[in-house]
Amino acid sequence: MRLINNSKKVNKKDIGKLLSQWSEEFVVFVPSKENGVVMMAKWDGTDTSFVDWYRNTVIPPKAHFLPPMEEMFRFQKDKGSYQLEQPASDGQKQLIFAIRPCDANALAILDKVFEDAYEDPYYLSRRKNRLLVGLGCTNPYDSCFCTSLGSSPSDAANVDLMLTDIGDEFLIEGVTDAGKQLIAQTSGLEEATEADDSRAKEVREASYHKVTRRIDTKDINSKLLSCFEDEDYWEKVAAKCISCGICTLLCPTCYCFDISDELVKQQGTRFRCWDSCAFPIYTKMPMENPREEKWRRVRQKVCHKYEFYLMNFGVIACTGCGRCIRLCPVNWDITQTLNSLPAKT
Amino acid sequence: MEQKLRREAKALLEQGQVDYIVGFEPGSLKFTTTPLITRDKEEVDRLVINPFIVNNLANFLTELKGRVGIIAKGCDSRSIVSLIQDNKVAREDVVILGIPCPGIIDLSKVEELIGKDRDELEAISREGDKVVITADGKTSEFSITEVLFDNCLGCELPTPQEYDILLGEPTLPVTDRSASQAKIEQLKGMPPQPRWEFWSNELSRCIRCYACRNVCPACFCQRCFVEETEPQWLMPVPRWQDNLMFQVIRNIHVAGRCTDCGECERACPVNIPLRSLTKEMYDIVGELFHFKAGMDKDTAPLMTHYEQEEAEDFIR
Amino acid sequence: MKQESEWEPRLLGFLCKWCSYAGADLAGTSRKKYPANIRIIKVPCSGRIDPLFILKALRLGFDGVLVSGCHPGECHYQTGNYRARRRIALTKKFLEYMGVEPTRIQASWVSASEGGKFAEVVTEVTNELKEIGPNRLFDEERDIYGTKIAP
Repeated sequence: MRLINNSKKVNKKDIGKLLSQWSEEFVVFVPSKENGVVMMAKWDGTDTSFVDWYRNTVIPPKAHFLPPMEEMFRFQKDKGSYQLEQPASDGQKQLIFAIRPCDANALAILDKVFEDAYEDPYYLSRRKNRLLVGLGCTNPYDSCFCTSLGSSPSDAANVDLMLTDIGDEFLIEGVTDAGKQLIAQTSGLEEATEADDSRAKEVREASYHKVTRRIDTKDINSKLLSCFEDEDYWEKVAAKCISCGICTLLCPTCYCFDISDELVKQQGTRFRCWDSCAFPIYTKMPMENPREEKWRRVRQKVCHKYEFYLMNFGVIACTGCGRCIRLCPVNWDITQTLNSLPAKT
Repeated sequence: MEQKLRREAKALLEQGQVDYIVGFEPGSLKFTTTPLITRDKEEVDRLVINPFIVNNLANFLTELKGRVGIIAKGCDSRSIVSLIQDNKVAREDVVILGIPCPGIIDLSKVEELIGKDRDELEAISREGDKVVITADGKTSEFSITEVLFDNCLGCELPTPQEYDILLGEPTLPVTDRSASQAKIEQLKGMPPQPRWEFWSNELSRCIRCYACRNVCPACFCQRCFVEETEPQWLMPVPRWQDNLMFQVIRNIHVAGRCTDCGECERACPVNIPLRSLTKEMYDIVGELFHFKAGMDKDTAPLMTHYEQEEAEDFIR
Repeated sequence: MKQESEWEPRLLGFLCKWCSYAGADLAGTSRKKYPANIRIIKVPCSGRIDPLFILKALRLGFDGVLVSGCHPGECHYQTGNYRARRRIALTKKFLEYMGVEPTRIQASWVSASEGGKFAEVVTEVTNELKEIGPNRLFDEERDIYGTKIAP
């Protein structure tokens, strides 16, 4: 996406000053590496070392909108009837700093499901209250493939502000009104020069070509439809999958959840938590389990993202972030599967 | 070794001695391998042996129906023997292609040493007891003990004892046992309260993906206790208390079957130091019952066996 | 939250039906005094105890768990108590490594005629639990980063 002009810039060394200003209005989340795991964590007020090493997080920023676990409400049992108590809605204003284009685009994809027939109040109130400051990627992983899905390492389509790494500085551009307003009320930003703008263009161009993994999404849904019934094919595809939940839980566009109640004496809480279609008991019902066999679950995962979601919402439920490939314990690779679908018969 | 492996595997399929060959082929990411499960003798040409063949393939034995020709490193072969002890797999149904294993390279250690991620490196090669890593055109050399997995550094059986075909000369382990035990010793040096704090902190990151359970050959229950709803022992909600309970019980349930292959720790996407749990259980089993998992296929499994006289000092 | 002086330990006892439960019954009929801190669950055999039950009890907030069965060689099902012996040995050592006070997990052999012993065991265990204090192992709430948060 071509970005707009009137760009500003900030020296990487001064990022702390920016974040401090923003901390007055928002709770600021920045990438942090602890125990070797990159996750978004509350900014501690001083550390800005992430500007030098940050590649994408392990846990996707969807966790800020659809958390791994959340309380839906609490209830009191009172002589056979239940008193419900709504938890304080999560109106915490957060600023998520350095979200990547793939993860920001993923939120736009998730919006379609949470704004559909039923508007999910938990997800939507967070969407309203959180600002996204995007950072373009200059060092994509070899597992990234965003460029095959209509995006790029510098895609600003779904962020409020976009940062581009032009060396010692970040170029800053407002995308939405909220983003532009934030820039207007932030002090300490310099005007970007034309040289900065053209440097940014070079960086974006170079980053685009660093994404080497590609899939061909042309007619992907009809290709999947045509081999849907091929049990032998899918058995082979699924052979090495171990049915853990890594690919789905850590996927920024996956949204399946489980609801669980805990009742201790007379008080209870209803929780919502992440769930995965890869788990064997995901579709287990008293009479049967339609996806008992592993190949059915693997087929479901691929087809949901590249066929059903496309049919239902008009967009592929994948942004090419590559976490599923990078973190899979057996290196099961969805791009390999998609690139070698059997030809239509 | 690779040529011999491909020949043998092909022969096994051609002669109908096995229905599947389970081995390793190059992965889709640099310095990665991935399991190859095939019935096709042409695909067998893709089999490789290199310092990155990390998976414990015994994990697949409990789901494949038929006879399986399986590639096994020392620790993997112990997992296979353990499954045989448990009657989950019949000895006649597996053809074990044993690989004497000099240790597997832990890419996260390499990344830490070089300060670059796996995909930014150009080459990693093992040369005897050294490893040579090339990045940005520059090469650096390290001792192999700096990059092997912790469990490899404590390896007790590099060459399978139970095998049908051995694909190389038996090898001696390259170990650094104190490095292998370092994290556990550090924990043992802490008083109880901080230790519990440590584990509550670590298990807070757990997202209950169950990768640790699913990569483990010793976890073969059709219905795991976490999936039980009547009664419900654990909620699916990833609270640290339940995450911790899951790990404790999983370790107790696989006691005597865990061979310290290290897969659980490697598979964890949020780097929880699971081996500091599994290895300690492994050592407790050794200390209390003088038992090592998967050494002899005719031994009874740990928890089905008992001696008349056993330590009872903790029983009133 | 009760004051320390008011706190009474809550002890969960898994008693095997054939020996220990009968022993406890005998303690009652013989009018042996023992603390009322124990709650008893009757199981067919101490070998029925999966360490999961012990952990779950601690998770639910019990201050201690007692597993009691027949003496070795006297198990109604021949080998059940041998299984229990191995499992509890493992559980105790492993939990101790993790930072749980070993006093919280107790085991005993109590036969059907040992009413007095049962009363003694419960008394001793209860006193030991009083000394180490309440089970706060699972009390804290934490967020995904491990930071403690208010419940």
